Amino acid sequence: MNALFKILAIITGLLIAGLYPMAASGEEALKFRHITSIYADEQGLGLNHPEGVACNQNALLIVADTGNARLLKYTYKDKTVAPEVRVIQVPQLIYPVQVKLNSRDEMLVLDRKQRRIVRITAAGQFGGYIDGQGASSSAASAPKSFHIDKNDNLYILDVYAGQVIVTDPGGKYLKHFRIPQEYGFFTDLTVDFKGNIFLIDSVNARVFSASKNSDAFAPLTQSLKEYMRYPAAITTDKWGRIYLVDRNGSRIIILGQDGSYLGRLSAMGWKEGLLNYPSQICLNDSGEIFVADTNNSRVQIFSIIE
Amino acid sequence: MKLISLHFRHAVVGALCLAGSLIIAAPALPAGQFKLKAGAEATICLKCHETFQKTLKSRSVHSPIKTGKCSDCHDPHTSTHKQLLASDIKQLCGSCHEKVLPEKARSSHKIVAQGDCLKCHDSHASDNRSMLKKPQDKICFDCHQDIDIKSKELRFKHQPMMTGQGCISCHDPHASVKADYLLKKSVPALCKDCHKTNQPSFNSKHLNYPVADTNCDSCHSAHGSNTRGILYDQVHPPVAENKCTECHLPAASPNAIKTKKQGTQLCAQCHRDMISQTFNKNRVHSPLMDNVGCLNCHNPHGSKQKHLLEAPMVITCGKCHEDTVRLQKWSISNPKNEGLCEPVKTGNCSSCHAPHSANNVLLIDQQNISIDLCGKCHKWESHSTHPIGEKVADPRDKNLTVECLSCHKGCGTGNKPAMMPFETTYDLCIQCHPERKR
Repeated sequence: MNALFKILAIITGLLIAGLYPMAASGEEALKFRHITSIYADEQGLGLNHPEGVACNQNALLIVADTGNARLLKYTYKDKTVAPEVRVIQVPQLIYPVQVKLNSRDEMLVLDRKQRRIVRITAAGQFGGYIDGQGASSSAASAPKSFHIDKNDNLYILDVYAGQVIVTDPGGKYLKHFRIPQEYGFFTDLTVDFKGNIFLIDSVNARVFSASKNSDAFAPLTQSLKEYMRYPAAITTDKWGRIYLVDRNGSRIIILGQDGSYLGRLSAMGWKEGLLNYPSQICLNDSGEIFVADTNNSRVQIFSIIE
Repeated sequence: MKLISLHFRHAVVGALCLAGSLIIAAPALPAGQFKLKAGAEATICLKCHETFQKTLKSRSVHSPIKTGKCSDCHDPHTSTHKQLLASDIKQLCGSCHEKVLPEKARSSHKIVAQGDCLKCHDSHASDNRSMLKKPQDKICFDCHQDIDIKSKELRFKHQPMMTGQGCISCHDPHASVKADYLLKKSVPALCKDCHKTNQPSFNSKHLNYPVADTNCDSCHSAHGSNTRGILYDQVHPPVAENKCTECHLPAASPNAIKTKKQGTQLCAQCHRDMISQTFNKNRVHSPLMDNVGCLNCHNPHGSKQKHLLEAPMVITCGKCHEDTVRLQKWSISNPKNEGLCEPVKTGNCSSCHAPHSANNVLLIDQQNISIDLCGKCHKWESHSTHPIGEKVADPRDKNLTVECLSCHKGCGTGNKPAMMPFETTYDLCIQCHPERKR
């Protein structure tokens, strides 16, 4: 009888040992912890449907306060947002929906109304437009999204030309990639630390990638509709993991470097920690994630717990 | 069109699953199983089932009956299926007629995939060809009454609709490996079987444009219409007025089918004000930004739909917003959702969303996305005694005020009641009133 119990105990132990990694590799693998939320500027004027958020290692946190046609410049350090806020409002910025920081702390902003990328200097002044000078398509272009790599080169998703146009930091055309022919609609792109470019096809919930030295995109994943409704923004972290913002599903989806599903974070709701029609996200090297929680008119900051 | 074909593909997938079950269906009873006396096989059943003598004289008789092999389909002794059938009727026919539903069908007739062969065919015999229960030109309209009614009212009918062959002139009644909509071939190959594209009359009718290899159903309504040349009733004026060069290069040019311009720039030649207004708003609907532009949603030649939409609105929008349309359909089928908004019920997306552009998120033009918008149809002031409006703060988020979308979701919430994103009203209320939590 004792022998029988021993065998049963060993089998049970083996089963538990075998099952544990399976549970941990799914939605349990990564979790969010809400740190704080940003609701207003220094004067108490509330955010209005913010769609863009940018962060960097210099503790800068920029919010594209879309409905108020302005940028807000915060400092975020040690899990705290400093009370001082710089309001940046220039006439050339009408409807900012996406913002990125370059290595000189300049803010590059996609203005959806003008369909142009606006440069705002670190001092908060208008610094000109970036139109991909020299690109064959520059006469008729429609930038839907853009990314800045570690060398400050720009990658512009031009949906009119059907291209990803790469420019130097000054906006001068360097090269372009044709976007894949078979797609629904591409809404965002990102570049990881290795220089790989990723595109998100929102309609088919599918990620495409192009390596640094290739000249064409290839599918990285099949349709991920099983896990999300309408992914509209994409970014990567320092380990190369891919983060997708499921706009209609109000959550963040995480994929491995190879496109494998790792988990999803948050859900639709109004309370802190929940999201409602989120837009751009930004990740810093401390594993913190900044989310433009658009329809909740706030920016939420989370830490990612592994 | 692509979207409709997508729906068909979905249907095909479902059909193939069922087809699989047809193909692997239990075969009819093996010959000789009942060890009948010599000569009895063709006559023994008819001794009692005398009426079949008359059936045998029908124009079209099922081959096992002709040879008296009733036991091919029936078990003469016992069966768990009605009418002593040898197997389930939905599988029985497929045991011999497995090729009716090809493995790689692009489209398949739903009733065929479901094994409902007897909806159209008599299992024993009929005076109609192929043992059909009704003549060929009538049987399809038992189900497809809408096409029958509409086509009778049309001024200009497509010739095959008026012949004895009827629908099967163009459609395969069971399945098609070549095209969607059960078409025997894809368009234009199908059309060219009758319409000789090398005839001078064909060229002159098409103003000498090389349209022989283009999609005929871009301009023509396959069943007929009230417009000469069976052009769609909603026809783009340049097409109706034979002004192809408004959009296309001249017929004699090497790329005559090519349009003069791309995307919205093409349509702006005539619709300048509308496009200017569209692009003057904060958010332009993304499809308008690519080099297909307006043609992502509109058919430039003609359509059955208003505003030349390429398909009914919910299908057109669902081409990209499939997730939202899925939710809408789910909400419609939800018995708890008696209070579903009319635009959600009818799939009229543009009741709330501006299809071209708007100044606010979700392409909603009203300043107050919720109250101004919903207030177009609902008297929100008398909706309930719950405080609502710009002066009522939402306790869940200090930047929000209580509005319609604080409790409801505009496109439906699937199996949840009253377009609320919660299972019960209680779950909703305790969001803001936690002190009432039971």
